[in-house]
Amino acid sequence: MWQYEKKLQYPVKIKTPNPKLASLIITQYGGPDGELGASLRYLSQRFAMPYPELKGLLTDIGTEELGHLEMIGSIVYQLTRNLTEKEIKEAGFDAYFVDHTTGIYPASASGVPFTAAYLQSKGDVITDLHENLAAEQKARTTYDNILRFADDPDVRDVIKFLRQREVVHYQRFGEGLRIATDKLNSKNFYAFNPSFDK
Amino acid sequence: MNEREMLLRRLSSAQFAAWEMHIFLDTHPDDQQAIASYQKYHEKAQALIKEFEEKYGPITSSASAFGEKRWEWINNPWPWENEKETKN
Repeated sequence: MWQYEKKLQYPVKIKTPNPKLASLIITQYGGPDGELGASLRYLSQRFAMPYPELKGLLTDIGTEELGHLEMIGSIVYQLTRNLTEKEIKEAGFDAYFVDHTTGIYPASASGVPFTAAYLQSKGDVITDLHENLAAEQKARTTYDNILRFADDPDVRDVIKFLRQREVVHYQRFGEGLRIATDKLNSKNFYAFNPSFDK
Repeated sequence: MNEREMLLRRLSSAQFAAWEMHIFLDTHPDDQQAIASYQKYHEKAQALIKEFEEKYGPITSSASAFGEKRWEWINNPWPWENEKETKN
């Protein structure tokens, strides 16, 4: 189960609305390498994890990703408050606005709604951990790309924090992969799925 | 930054340090130095949660954080809000 803490993992305090930037950052809410996909990926994969270190790691990182989802929602919410129709039109936020007003909806920067096709849960520890290592790097690249277009220090500070978490999670998943391969001998490495074959 | 924000930041820093140790320990469960560090920051965070809740109301579901006359959990600001713009 989960219990809610009524606070963000890292504070989001944005003074200046910017709907154009919001329409890019929403991709980390419901886009192909976003936080919703990340949390669903790890929290689904964990059921097939054969080793206690990995059950713990996927539970915990999946949980942290839910906190990041909340932070991205907070950024988009704060970037789109008190807007006029003129500002919405000039920022190119009108396409998002007609579908969702300023509600927070899981979609990519190009407007594609969230889909579970963004993630895999393969029931094989080696396969799933490689997916996760790639996922953390894809999310890191997305945050790097957002930083190319974000001038506001209030936004950059939070995006840099989230970018750094991708790097730390990549490190932890690397250690998880090492734990998994250390438990397999050279004979069954890839010939054997320790999540299924007993 | 007002006093509430400063205390929240100190609390989040301690929680973050404890969390970083927590996920490190998932892959290094026998690391005694990390366990000691986790305990130190966890205790610090728990004390700061208590202090924060006594001053500003509940952020966890602990009974001591709630007032007797009103259900304070629902009070503004919520985490995504910029509190200067939010009226209670």
